[in-house]
Amino acid sequence: MLSDLRFRLRALLRRSAVDAELDAELRDHLGHLIAKHEAHGCSREEAVRLARLEFGGLDQIKDDCRDARGIGVIDATAQDVRYAARVLGRDTVFTAIAALTLAVGIGASTTIFSVVDAVLLKPLPFAQAERVVFPWRLPADGFDLGFDIFPWHRVEFLTFARQTRTFARLGAFEGASFNLTGDGDPARVDGARVSAAFFAALGVEPRVGRTFSEQADRPGGPRETVISDQLWRRRFGSDPAIVGRTVLLNGEAFTVVGIMPAGFAFPQSAGMPNVFPLPRESSIWVPLALPRGPAYRGEPSELAVVGRLARGVSLDAAQAELDQFAEQLDREIPRGRGWHRSRAVPITQQLAGGTRRALLLLLGAVGVLLLIACSNVANLLITRAIARAREFTLRAALGAGRGRLIRQLATEHLVLAGLGCAGGLAVASVGVAIVRTSGPASVPRLAGAQLDATAFLFAVALALACALLFSAAPVWTSTRHDLAAWLKDAGSRSVTSARGLRARSALLVAEVALALVLAIASGLLVRSFVRLARVDAGFNPDRALTFELTLPSASYATEERIVALYSDVLDRLRALPGVESAGIAETVPMGGAGEGTGLRIPDRPTTDDNARPFANYTIASPGYFAAVGTPVLQGRTFADTDTATSLPVAIVSAAMARKFWPGQNPIGRQVGVPIRPYDMTVVGVVADVKHVSLREEPAPEIYVPYTQKPWPSMQTMHVIVRTRTAPASITAAVRNAIREIDPHLPLARVAALETFVDEALAQPRFSVLLVGGFGIVSLLLACVGLYGAVSYSVASRTRELGVRVALGASPRRVFGLVLGQCVRITVLGIAIGLGIALLALRVMEGFLYGIEPTDPATFAALSALLLAVALLAGYVPARRAMRVDPLVAMRVE
Amino acid sequence: MAADRLALPQGTLDLLILRTLALEPQHGWAIAERVQQLSSDALRIPQGSLYPALHRLERRGWIRPRWGTSEHNRRAKYYELTPRGRRRLEAGRTAWRKIVAAVASVLEPA
Repeated sequence: MLSDLRFRLRALLRRSAVDAELDAELRDHLGHLIAKHEAHGCSREEAVRLARLEFGGLDQIKDDCRDARGIGVIDATAQDVRYAARVLGRDTVFTAIAALTLAVGIGASTTIFSVVDAVLLKPLPFAQAERVVFPWRLPADGFDLGFDIFPWHRVEFLTFARQTRTFARLGAFEGASFNLTGDGDPARVDGARVSAAFFAALGVEPRVGRTFSEQADRPGGPRETVISDQLWRRRFGSDPAIVGRTVLLNGEAFTVVGIMPAGFAFPQSAGMPNVFPLPRESSIWVPLALPRGPAYRGEPSELAVVGRLARGVSLDAAQAELDQFAEQLDREIPRGRGWHRSRAVPITQQLAGGTRRALLLLLGAVGVLLLIACSNVANLLITRAIARAREFTLRAALGAGRGRLIRQLATEHLVLAGLGCAGGLAVASVGVAIVRTSGPASVPRLAGAQLDATAFLFAVALALACALLFSAAPVWTSTRHDLAAWLKDAGSRSVTSARGLRARSALLVAEVALALVLAIASGLLVRSFVRLARVDAGFNPDRALTFELTLPSASYATEERIVALYSDVLDRLRALPGVESAGIAETVPMGGAGEGTGLRIPDRPTTDDNARPFANYTIASPGYFAAVGTPVLQGRTFADTDTATSLPVAIVSAAMARKFWPGQNPIGRQVGVPIRPYDMTVVGVVADVKHVSLREEPAPEIYVPYTQKPWPSMQTMHVIVRTRTAPASITAAVRNAIREIDPHLPLARVAALETFVDEALAQPRFSVLLVGGFGIVSLLLACVGLYGAVSYSVASRTRELGVRVALGASPRRVFGLVLGQCVRITVLGIAIGLGIALLALRVMEGFLYGIEPTDPATFAALSALLLAVALLAGYVPARRAMRVDPLVAMRVE
Repeated sequence: MAADRLALPQGTLDLLILRTLALEPQHGWAIAERVQQLSSDALRIPQGSLYPALHRLERRGWIRPRWGTSEHNRRAKYYELTPRGRRRLEAGRTAWRKIVAAVASVLEPA
């Protein structure tokens, strides 16, 4: 083995010496051979001739020796690469087009891959993240709450946490935000109330200090808080002495006990079920401190739960325990039968959530684009191969083996793929930057997308795969020349090009078909997006400013105090110039999920708790519906005359009226919520409003006035101001007005109402832009491919066309002949593409809104578009064919 | 003149070269001549394949080159058998004998 290596190394490194030795040896041998022949009585010339004949070509022997020495491959490869570079460099237009096509395909694929890698594949920053699971509660079978999972109830969580065997840790959490005061301006900080086991369940340790003690997680325990690395830097100037200090949250003193590591901001709304009002990023955590007592009547369920599986316990085992727990609760609380089931979701699946399918769709789209790019390059290569048939036949005639020719072509293609790969990486670096900055915020971990080693390797692997793909056809067509036929035909192109043309046509058909599939996919997305953007969300997002007010519980302890403040706020805002109307509500449309509640409807008495009517529940003020622009369909809105002492009233949504009083007039009907002993009278019906997603089906909703002792607390409310001009122009005045009322009240999430709608449209818009972009690029590529093919066929048939013209074919007929070829390919491609689209685009069902994945109008429109584009691509060369001058044509070749 | 010469069975060239070099180190031409001589002119090494074969054997470490002076007093590249080459030759000879015996017993059953 060692001698082998030494030999090869010497052969490789001291090539010239080895070659010289061999040369001397061969000459010596030849000398002997000549001498021998002379000795047998031949003349000198005759002897030389015989010797050469016997010995064969010196170069051939040297080549064989080189192969025997084992450096032939390396040698030949270097030669091939040099040759390939020269060949590609000579034909700059071809090389540029091919490399650019590949660069687009590889670049787009690598961009999407790095997003997929960051969002779906990269490990989460939690220790043994595969053990982290979210158990969600499920609604009873056949019960539609408008969302498919719902939160845990306090008592059930505490019971399960006490008895679980499959979870090592089980923590609960809920989103919360706090007014952080002291140390400068009051600020609104988003975070969460979490139980002590929360951090351990996720598997994160604080960077500095500790997390909550068990004592802190009990009502009345020490008030402790943990802050994020970002908050520590931003608010506390990276002061290491912050641990142990006291901060004021909602006016109450909390001791900072720890700082979390950089990047930890869980819970985050991205990837989590939107029935949970979670912050975009958490930067502060306080103990949840759940009371341990029994549930009170009507106590809401609002906990999210995160668990860490015990060592060696499978997800299935945990699910089985949850199922057992559900049965146990069904037995213990027969009234809530069927409402105790849960589903355990692994964290990776949870966070990727709906994004996963969207990303896979993008990956599929980009894969199709890459295939189209490859077939385009293959097409170009076949054209070239036909043009170079002479060269290859000549080389074959001179003794180059088929293997050698294939190797050389393959090298050329690899060099091309290398160029494409380099270009693709450049495209991807731009693409990743764009995606990172302008991608939708709802995609978790999108900011982590980068062009790292994994993405780089992916691009290289992709380039190699492409090289294989686009090499197959041209290598096959250009190295199988029938030498004899070729020589007989004295090098006319017709013999060799037949096979090439067939392969090209097949490729073009495939390309057209794939381009159509991608175009239809993007067409469907665009139409669905337009419908989504035009959907009637039940409110008017233009010229409306919203912000959040959170009242410190210390200074706003009683309900009278809270009501007085909001009433004051409304009066001040309405008095501002430029304000059309103002209102407050617990949630704003598209601002996220609000509360939901069971209802008591005397008209529909029920003893079965499970069949209890259910509705979304929103606290609102007079002026609210005018401010958000929700039309009042019947009756009246809240008025200043609805007070704590007047008749309790409620307003219901159209969906609620339809569901509970079908065909009847809901005005004047009675309705109650569990927590209040008295019923309210319905005084108005308003339009249905979308809360979380523009796709959602309207769910029953009930509004109650903020003045009539509503449940639950009104500590955090949204204020909506409808303006006469741009909302931004009035922000400063609004801030002043609030400051005049109470200088310690921070305004949070100040935003135009339309930004909520924009955010809801961000992800579909992102998909539309990307897939639409891919669709357009694929149409262009197919167009370029057709143009190239038709042009080439015109060029190579110049003589034939000339003959036809000379024999009396009209220009029109020649035009039709050429264009006909283009049309045949396109129509066949469209037929196949339609078939594929019908079958494959079913996967898009979940992405589309208000449109079927087999929408005939979209299919027809894009087929027509593709046909038009193809005709355009064929038109130019067909015109050229019409003008063929028979005299010139005859002289060609 | 080549009609009565035998075509060299596949793989025997290496063995012939090794056998020739087992007698004494030789240069390329002499190897070819010696094979012809030893076989009483019945075998002839195809001129074109001798040198690739030598390179192959050298790579495998069965022979090694040595510069010497030829009978005409010219520098020439001599090849000599290495111990590994000698072992290889013995193994090859044994195998060859078995093959010949086996083929013979089939072609000319006693």
